This record gives sequence, structure tokens and C-alpha cells, in this order.
Amino acid sequence: MIEAILIATLAGVLVSLSRQINGRLAVSTTPLVASFWNHVVGFAVLTAIGLVIGALWPAGAFSAPWYAYLGGTIGVIFVASGSWLIARIGAINTAMLVIGGQMVFGVALDLVRGAEGHVLASALGVALIIAGAALTQRRR
Amino acid sequence: MTSSVTASLPRPSPFHLLLAFGSGGLLTLMVDFNGLVGLYATPFYSSWVAHGTGIVAALAFLALLRLRPEAGAGGAKPAAPLWAYLGGVSGALTVILTSTAVNSPLALSGTLALGLAGQVVFSLAADRWGLLGMPVRIPLLRDFAALALIAAGSVIIIFGRGA
Repeated sequence: MIEAILIATLAGVLVSLSRQINGRLAVSTTPLVASFWNHVVGFAVLTAIGLVIGALWPAGAFSAPWYAYLGGTIGVIFVASGSWLIARIGAINTAMLVIGGQMVFGVALDLVRGAEGHVLASALGVALIIAGAALTQRRR
Repeated sequence: MTSSVTASLPRPSPFHLLLAFGSGGLLTLMVDFNGLVGLYATPFYSSWVAHGTGIVAALAFLALLRLRPEAGAGGAKPAAPLWAYLGGVSGALTVILTSTAVNSPLALSGTLALGLAGQVVFSLAADRWGLLGMPVRIPLLRDFAALALIAAGSVIIIFGRGA
């Protein structure tokens, strides 16, 4: 259990580490170029690992609905926008506002799909996130 | 409140807020799509394919903007150190760690909440000391209040859904 806790926390650290490094590359190039290299290097690493463990071509590789394969394209825009933001508003502001957006859109997606869940808890969560996001804003 | 400290900490504008929220919305969609590919095949394959298609998409976007990767660093911009190209290593490993944690007793909710904690701790340190060549930003009380509100709201949503 301790091991799982460390792994899950480290995964979060790596998300922010990646954005910090890509942000630095974007300062010297452009956010889109940084996103490009992020995907090239990530692909190379995953290909190497996949060749070693033989996981590159599993059964069902092409069975998902076509639009599910757009995840990578969305990821390019996600990495580019994060690399642009982090140099301008800092790591913690970028992390919190992106997480906030992720949560609010997640709740919206659940509503659209009619997924099970506590509606009141979600509403309270969204309200707290919006209050926190408002607090990050510049003073007039 | 001393002006030197506040001056070192530019606050997000409404545009920054909307872009970050929209970016978070894209993340929701991306996790959903990649999760679907992972469901039909494996999470590892899903990440591999997402990175591969991402390369093609990034090239297409760069071509649309008439920018070649090599042509990015122009004018007064400082040269990028070699390590700045390695952000993708950390991103690639994230998928492996996350899919491991999701299959532990932590489940999806615990994995998301701890991942949030990991992001908070690293990001605060990164701003405080300007890690990896980025600007130093000393967080103020107001920043911690915003952080607490967003983190609390997120944790309530994460566990409210998981239940």
C-alpha cells in the first residue's frame, strides 16, 4: 500500500516536472515546438520500453472507436498550452487552474452522460474551485 | 504587504484563467479518449499511440503555422539546454505509474487525489526556487488560499464520483 501511495504521488510529481521542463524549452523555442519534442522523446522512450516488454501491438489495437485515437492530437494542444502558461503565471497557478478546469469539465461530462455520483458533492466541489480560481486573479 | 514580493508574482489574468480551464477541459477529454483505447487494448499501448499520433499532429500544426521545429529559436531567445528536450521522458513514465496505481487498492480516486498532492508539492517548490531555469515566484497567503479552495473542491469531486 505504501508502495502504491508513493507511485501515485510520484506520478503527480512527474506531471509537474514534465510541464516545468517543457516550459523551459518553450522559453527558448515556442510552446508548439516544445510539445512536438515532448511527443518525440516520449514516443522514443515508450517504443524502447515496449520493444523490451513486447507490449507494442496488443490484441484490440485498432478496435476502439475512431475518435478515441484523437487523444494524442488533443495532448499536443494540452502540452503546448501548459508550456505557454507556466512561463507566464508560474507552476502552481498553472497546475491548480488546469486541475480546476479538468474537474469542472469532468463533472459536466458526467452530467451529460447521466453518470452515477453525488450531485451535491460535485456542485460543492465546483463552487469551491470557482472561488479558488477567482482568488488567483489580478486585482483591479 | 511589500511591493517587491508582489511584483515578483504576476497573477493570472482572465485570459490565463480561461486558457488554463480550457486546457483542463481538453485533459478531461484526452484522458477519456486514451482510456477508451486502453480499454480495448492496454494503457501502455494507448499512451504509445497517443504519443505517435501526437508527433504527426504537432508536425501538422507546425506546418499550418509555417514553422519548422528547427526554426523555433530565433532572435534574442536564450539557447535551450539539452535537458530541456527531456520533458517527454517524465510524461511517458507518468502513464506507466498511473496505470500501476489505478490497479492498486488506491483505485482511480486515490490515484487522482495523490497525483494532485504530488503536483502541488512539486509546483510550490518549483516556483519557490525557480527550478529548471524558470522564474522564482514566492507564493503569498492569497495563493495558498486559492490552492486550498481548488484542492478541496477537487478532492470532494474525486471522492464524490468514486463513491
